[in-house]
Amino acid sequence: MPFIKLNDLEVEVPDGINVIEAARLHGIEVPYYCYHPGLSRPANCRMCLVEPHVFFPPAGAIVPDRQLATGCTTVLRTAPPDRKLDGKYDFIVRTDSPRVKKAREDILEFLLVHHPLDCSVCDQAGECDLQDFSFNHGRGTSRYVEVKNVPPKKDLGPDVLLYSTRCIVCTRCIRFCHEVSGTGELGLIHRGSHDEIDIPRAHDGTPLQLLDNKLAGNVVDICPVGALISKDFLFKSRPWFMKTVNSICPGCSVGCNITLDFKEDGVYRLKPRFHADINQHWMCDDGRLGYHYVNSEDRLQIPMKRVDGELVPTSWADALNLIVEKFSGVDAESKVVVGSAQGTNEENYVLQKLGREVLKTDRFGLFGREPGEEHKFPQFAIEADKNPNTRGARDMLGLGNGSVLEDEALWEGLSNAEAVYLVNGAPERPLDETSQKALESVDFLVVQDIFESDVAKLADVVLPGVTFAEKDGTFTNSSGWVQRIHKSVDPPGEARTDWEIIQQVAKRLGGDIDYHFAGEIAMDIAENVPGYQDATHQKIGDSGVKLQDDN
Amino acid sequence: MPFEFSEENRREFEKLIPRYPVKEAVMLPTLHLAQRQAGYISPEVMEYVAGLLEVPVMKVKDVLTFYPMFFEEPVGKYVIRVCHTLPCALADCKLVLEHIKQKLNTDVAAETDLAKGTTPDGKFTLLKAECLASCDVAPVMMVNDDLYKNLTPQKVDEILDSLA
Ligand code: SF4
Ligand code: SF4
Ligand code: FES
Repeated sequence: MPFIKLNDLEVEVPDGINVIEAARLHGIEVPYYCYHPGLSRPANCRMCLVEPHVFFPPAGAIVPDRQLATGCTTVLRTAPPDRKLDGKYDFIVRTDSPRVKKAREDILEFLLVHHPLDCSVCDQAGECDLQDFSFNHGRGTSRYVEVKNVPPKKDLGPDVLLYSTRCIVCTRCIRFCHEVSGTGELGLIHRGSHDEIDIPRAHDGTPLQLLDNKLAGNVVDICPVGALISKDFLFKSRPWFMKTVNSICPGCSVGCNITLDFKEDGVYRLKPRFHADINQHWMCDDGRLGYHYVNSEDRLQIPMKRVDGELVPTSWADALNLIVEKFSGVDAESKVVVGSAQGTNEENYVLQKLGREVLKTDRFGLFGREPGEEHKFPQFAIEADKNPNTRGARDMLGLGNGSVLEDEALWEGLSNAEAVYLVNGAPERPLDETSQKALESVDFLVVQDIFESDVAKLADVVLPGVTFAEKDGTFTNSSGWVQRIHKSVDPPGEARTDWEIIQQVAKRLGGDIDYHFAGEIAMDIAENVPGYQDATHQKIGDSGVKLQDDN
Repeated sequence: MPFEFSEENRREFEKLIPRYPVKEAVMLPTLHLAQRQAGYISPEVMEYVAGLLEVPVMKVKDVLTFYPMFFEEPVGKYVIRVCHTLPCALADCKLVLEHIKQKLNTDVAAETDLAKGTTPDGKFTLLKAECLASCDVAPVMMVNDDLYKNLTPQKVDEILDSLA
């Protein structure tokens, strides 16, 4: 590990790290725009200038280098013994010298020359690097009195708008489209101070191609200013009015790490959160824009039961009593419990206990969204399994004898079932003829769901559960990472956390299941489910744990 | 209208490829060839060139808007570029420019609006140019590929009148 002198600190830093990251590790801010840890480094913004020190033979001393260097491309490595500075340092650098400070002020003044300073109406305000770095490192005034360029606002694609006036031409967005998505829709038109980001257009402005690849939303995240804006979030909220929790995208089995921004009245935005082994800095637009169902007016809010062929609202007590009554009158072999690949490990674990310990059945099934399309990009992949927890649900439901019926086998398996408890919870899940018929044939069907879905419509009792945004728990992604979701907004109406519903049913059927919070269930999972020994909420933290002995 | 290189230009293009380390690097000569054939770079030409060089269309648009010698709309048969950088300005290029404007009864074209400086008969397009690298013989102008030096209004008359 290189041993460096960073301002007045003497520190060891990871080999190959650049000065920006080394400084960050030690709580020192080096401002930057064009650099992004997930992209190539053109060093075009010059914001990150720092002052390396070198040995100057005529003076026989270590002096500041003649030129400042860009911190983004200055990489720290161990120097050979005869090249150490002062006999011990691999590198000496200052990020706080008067020369560096002056350079920052000058660069910021240049970057702001054509900037409209329209923070009061800019979506980025409050989370803008231009605001923050100008405040921390800028001069506060400009000497520019000439007319500013006013390039037009442009529509780039289905969700992305460009406020060209705010762009500082860092080219992060262009590099993203070349390097990560490999789609290359963005580029620069014109030259010099007239540079503008754009998609290819005919001379009259008609687009020849749109910024519509499935990763397009990421350019909005990485734009360091308010130039690239998501239409979905435009003017919806000031960032400082929202609360944020860490979560996992429920859109597919990749399990991208995300942050979820919310207010009392709903979910406002999903953004990717770095995970080195799963999604890096990115997420796809299906996931990013897929949260709207959480806020839907059509969410199930109260239990329902079938009366004279119609589903009518009822109370929790009535719904639960009905379930107890019907399930008590059926042989163990005729009961089937179907978990959800949309649900957490915790609720599937409790469901498995309900089945095995209380209903005494070993007939389990797994339900979830149908497979969709798979998409591959140079540095990202979207998986075909559109459920976040297929692997975890299989692990939980399959405990013991290990067989969990899916798809055709499930529909066949239901042919002689008399009482079925099925958890859905998918944003959408149409039924085909086979599954429709199989579910219709069940004498007594309980469905726990978030919408009056195709399957809920066939139920005798419907129980309102919650979405990923309203509960705590864990998902296991396709590569075996167990990761944590956190509750943000409250469930609508009388809807209740899924594992609590299942536990209530179990209790009323005489079962001895008594958890108080999801983390407690996870501790039991860690104890009882092979591979999950480290999967307690405490150990999972914000970065997840990988299943042991990769099963 | 779909665009495609003439057989001759196609051969020219093939000859260019081995001279460059990667296909993308053949961009400028390819655009020159294409512009010579088509007159200007239309969206069809852009897409054709992108296909030939195996790059996104935006790369072509990017390059072509960077350089003022590429046109995205029709221009006159003769493109006049009057240098207006400092040495030419000191040698009174303004006089030359005003003279041409009056003589052709046209304005100076803008890079993004070439029609503005093109005569209705489609014969001339008048542009200002940055340094043409002939400061010692200022003021200068180029008409298509030819350079004209030490210009005076009389000289300009002779030159323009001689063009068919
Ligand atoms: S739009 Fe944003 S990301 Fe793209 S070049 Fe401009 S400032 Fe950078
Ligand atoms: S790849 Fe999958 S998990 Fe990641 S954001 Fe897209 S849908 Fe969500
Ligand atoms: S961040 Fe280093 S030059 Fe832009």
